[in-house]
Amino acid sequence: MTELQQRQAPTRAAGAATRSAYHPPPPRRRFRRGFGLGGLITLLPLLLVFGYFGWWPIGQSVMLSLQQTNLVDPPTWVGVDNFRYLFADPLLWTTLRNTAWFVVLALIFGFPVPVLLALFVSELRRLGGVFRVLVYLPVLVPPVVALLLWKWFYDPDFGLFNQVLGAVGLGSSSWLQSTATAMPSLVLATTWAHAGSTVLIYLAALSGVPSELYEAAEIDGASIWRRLWHVTLPHLRGVLLIMLLLQIIGTFQIFTEPFILTDGGPEDSTVTILLLIYRYAFLNGDYGMAAALSVMLAIVLATLSAVYLRLTRKWSTT
Amino acid sequence: MTITVADLPPTTQAKSRQQFLDQVAAFERDNPKIKINATDSQWEAKTFAARLAGGQLETVFIVPLTEPPGLIKRRQIADITDETRALPHADKFESRALKPGTGPDGRIYGLPTSEWALGLTYNRQLFTKAGLDPDKPPKTWDEVRLAAKTIFEKTGIPGYAQPTTNNTGGWTLTAMTYTHGGRAEKEVDGKQVPAFNDGPALEVLEWLKAMRWEDDSIGRQHLRNGADVLKDFSAGRIGMTIATPSTYGDHITKYNGDPAMFGVTALPSGGTAATLLGGKMAVVSPKAGTAERAAAVKWIDFRYLRPKYDTTAAEERAKANAADDIPVGIPAVPFYQPQVVDPVLEIERRHANVPLNSFKSYAAGVATQDYVPEPPVAGQDVYAALDVAVQAVLTRKDADPATELRNAEEKVAPILERAQR
Repeated sequence: MTELQQRQAPTRAAGAATRSAYHPPPPRRRFRRGFGLGGLITLLPLLLVFGYFGWWPIGQSVMLSLQQTNLVDPPTWVGVDNFRYLFADPLLWTTLRNTAWFVVLALIFGFPVPVLLALFVSELRRLGGVFRVLVYLPVLVPPVVALLLWKWFYDPDFGLFNQVLGAVGLGSSSWLQSTATAMPSLVLATTWAHAGSTVLIYLAALSGVPSELYEAAEIDGASIWRRLWHVTLPHLRGVLLIMLLLQIIGTFQIFTEPFILTDGGPEDSTVTILLLIYRYAFLNGDYGMAAALSVMLAIVLATLSAVYLRLTRKWSTT
Repeated sequence: MTITVADLPPTTQAKSRQQFLDQVAAFERDNPKIKINATDSQWEAKTFAARLAGGQLETVFIVPLTEPPGLIKRRQIADITDETRALPHADKFESRALKPGTGPDGRIYGLPTSEWALGLTYNRQLFTKAGLDPDKPPKTWDEVRLAAKTIFEKTGIPGYAQPTTNNTGGWTLTAMTYTHGGRAEKEVDGKQVPAFNDGPALEVLEWLKAMRWEDDSIGRQHLRNGADVLKDFSAGRIGMTIATPSTYGDHITKYNGDPAMFGVTALPSGGTAATLLGGKMAVVSPKAGTAERAAAVKWIDFRYLRPKYDTTAAEERAKANAADDIPVGIPAVPFYQPQVVDPVLEIERRHANVPLNSFKSYAAGVATQDYVPEPPVAGQDVYAALDVAVQAVLTRKDADPATELRNAEEKVAPILERAQR
């Protein structure tokens, strides 16, 4: 307890005791009344902004998923028709499989990479700042520009990657041109583009690990791996769990990479849920179907997050 | 009354922009009760819905020719039949030019602003390098295949490129199917059903497959839409591709291509002389009231149709475009019958700034072709399903064209059924 807390604590306790002698209502209710009007007025602007820009559109999306509309005439209520047609669309199942495959690949490759990069950068005695900038640099490149560059990297006829592979005698790869390699290629580009921000978060978390623990471990003769396992990772646990959840939610919503690099091809092997929503809404003008799939995605992600947080509550330090 | 109109040329095309603004002023002078607000916004599928719902859509906006069928079906553009019938030379419209904006009910929902028949663009310089005669471009798909093989063998550059994504694969496959006498949809018991799962489309896929895996003459990059292909074409990385002759404009102004490189001929034949139209149409917001709609059609006539039937307006437009280095003289689909359009074409030829010789075989070829319209129901869905078939035969050696067409048919059939319920 800090000095300030020690000084305040008795005063607060005494005040509460005095008040309770004259005003018997339970503390919980008193808190509510005290919070009531003043709190509400303070919160009002926030509630209005959130309500207008957040909850109102969410409510509208749910309504739209049960309607058919051309955005000109009044919408027609169609019940669960949009959902029925959605489940009858064979592309939905392909899309779900593709998205799940992307999420798995992104977790296998995309999740450990920023952790390792952060550990590497934090261990550097020199040039740490330079590496921090280098790692973060891809985040500064506008995504569409970066992806157009990757498109050229991946070009099977004139692209950089195949030229390099050819120069070192490794032949060439199909990259985006094959159903087998298209998705891993998207994961590679995505990991490159997004790792920087995550590395910064891990670096911030790493700077909070008390140096005495490392010193103690070193005095006890712990190797670098044992220090990593017994000191670093336990301290990163809370951040790791949250980042994992955010990554799962983020990767489920992958859109820009397949939109720019493959447009869902070859043979629909990279059509993701968001790309399908885009096609329903903007290519077919079927806003009801697009809203139905969006609502389904939101429900799945909310459920997934709730289950995940419940399961990991006891491991989390936050 | 005020109406808003899209299509104001960007500031980079100063003279055309000024000419547009001068036209707005002239129109307002002729029609003192109508005020025009011009915007330089372009059609974008992504923003259309939000702008329509938010009341931000212009009264007159321009859409690619592939859009009207869907917009008509969803009633997202206004019926302008009565207003159109009151226009000058309304009885002398060329029916095939009006067709893309005409609904299944026979009503008019859009008026053409520019229309071109799909053809085959080719790199004249690569033809010469490969020992081929650039003045004798291929007339059949077999000749295209031979030329592609020769170009690749002699220059190492892919001889031909097929667009495959963003529905452009299905769109071009449909055009090629027309040249083999096939169709994408047919009517059965009063309803449209898929018609591509038979001989003609199969022939096209077999042809593509042979070019990719037997001849290996068309490179390995097969995930591109029409715009990507054009970019590569202008960079000299492609021998031939399917496109409208209007792509000459982007080739010169957008991609800084060499004018001498550009060649175009009519869409090659697979036994039938046919093609598909590309281009743009002017349409009117469904939220426009009766008076606004009338003013909108008046503006469309003033801006887009008049230079196609009035020689003075045609000359003004041709001069302004030529001064801005915008191509003049590319052979387009006439909007009116010959007695109206011939004097205008003569004026355009006088101000032409394109190498007319490069467009000669195109003009001669399309004159004999049948212009087959887009699939009437859910055309974009048909194209999306056929994209997959085209991608399959070009990226997977063991892909079976017949199976791919069957899969596409299974995908499209319920969509067509739903669209006609």
